[in-house]
Amino acid sequence: MMLKVVKVALLLALLPVADRLLAHAAIVKGQEVSGVWVEAIYETGEPMAEAQVTVYGPDNPTKPLMTGLTDASGVFTFVPPPEAAGLWVVQVRQAGHGAMVSIPLGATLQEGRPAVTAASSAAGVTGTQRLVMAAAVVWGFVGTALFFSRRGRGNAST
Amino acid sequence: MHLPEGILPLPITLGGYVAAGLVAAFCVRRIRAQVDPLSQVPQAALMTATFFIASLVSFPIPPVSVHLLLNGLLGVLLGWFAFPAILVGLFLQAVMFGHGGVTTLGVNALLLGLPALAAYGLFQLRACCPLLLTRRFTLLLSFLAGALAVGLALLLFTSILLVGLPAHVDAALERRALMTLILAYLPVLFLEGLLTAMLVGFFLRVSPGLIERR
Repeated sequence: MMLKVVKVALLLALLPVADRLLAHAAIVKGQEVSGVWVEAIYETGEPMAEAQVTVYGPDNPTKPLMTGLTDASGVFTFVPPPEAAGLWVVQVRQAGHGAMVSIPLGATLQEGRPAVTAASSAAGVTGTQRLVMAAAVVWGFVGTALFFSRRGRGNAST
Repeated sequence: MHLPEGILPLPITLGGYVAAGLVAAFCVRRIRAQVDPLSQVPQAALMTATFFIASLVSFPIPPVSVHLLLNGLLGVLLGWFAFPAILVGLFLQAVMFGHGGVTTLGVNALLLGLPALAAYGLFQLRACCPLLLTRRFTLLLSFLAGALAVGLALLLFTSILLVGLPAHVDAALERRALMTLILAYLPVLFLEGLLTAMLVGFFLRVSPGLIERR
């Protein structure tokens, strides 16, 4: 009887640690989460392949949270922790070229809806706009040149 | 050859502004010391426009795409005006098209402007030896000046990038990418030398005063 009690007591004492004693199986879980998709291309349309990516979280915009490389088509994806709402900054650089994009992540991400899209500043100007802008600047320079060359002639004649 | 925003650490961009400001002030002093400082302004304005446009036109040399720098040409044709011209051109490129950046304006002006002044210095070698003032020698010097400016710009670009490389960036990978870029710019170096020589030859024929004044 006494022996039985001791055995039961021993078993009971072992129960809390039984989990640890028997835990040698691996457990893999899967769950759908929302991530951030970044694509880096040059203005010519070429992808920035194997470019270095640095991700800054909203808490500390100077300390990189993660780093990585873009794939052959210039794409890099990462999954921010679900509680990290705020302005995430992703920088892509390669041989002195590169750009930064600020991605505001908020409640939308946690609810599993597609996150906001954002682009770096150089994007979003059409070819025609660029052409007109360039032409305007060039015309400014030509005007300057004409103005000062007139001045030169005027002085010469007087 | 334009460093964009956020690539360099803040102290380097600030230092770049200070140094570029000093160089620009020095150039303006030299320009003021000329007999008629304003006479060269039309030429400087047109060359600034050319410089501004040149960087918008890129052509592919796989796996990267390159564009003309024209800093050597500006140095040879404009002399001391080259640095302020490059500064203005870079500013407009940065604010209008996002080529380069406003924070990196100082560094970029040094990267392109100092080689332009070096090209001017090389071209000035003609002046010290009148015996060498032949057409052929002038053309050779302008070729060398055009090529030298691109070469120096590449050198400065690479060194400042490697000096300012943050710790979290893979240095070996970046060095490899830079090497690819340098190789792609070697044809540009040759091309710009050729272009500078062609234009100097053209001006020697059409309006020799433009070249001989320097």
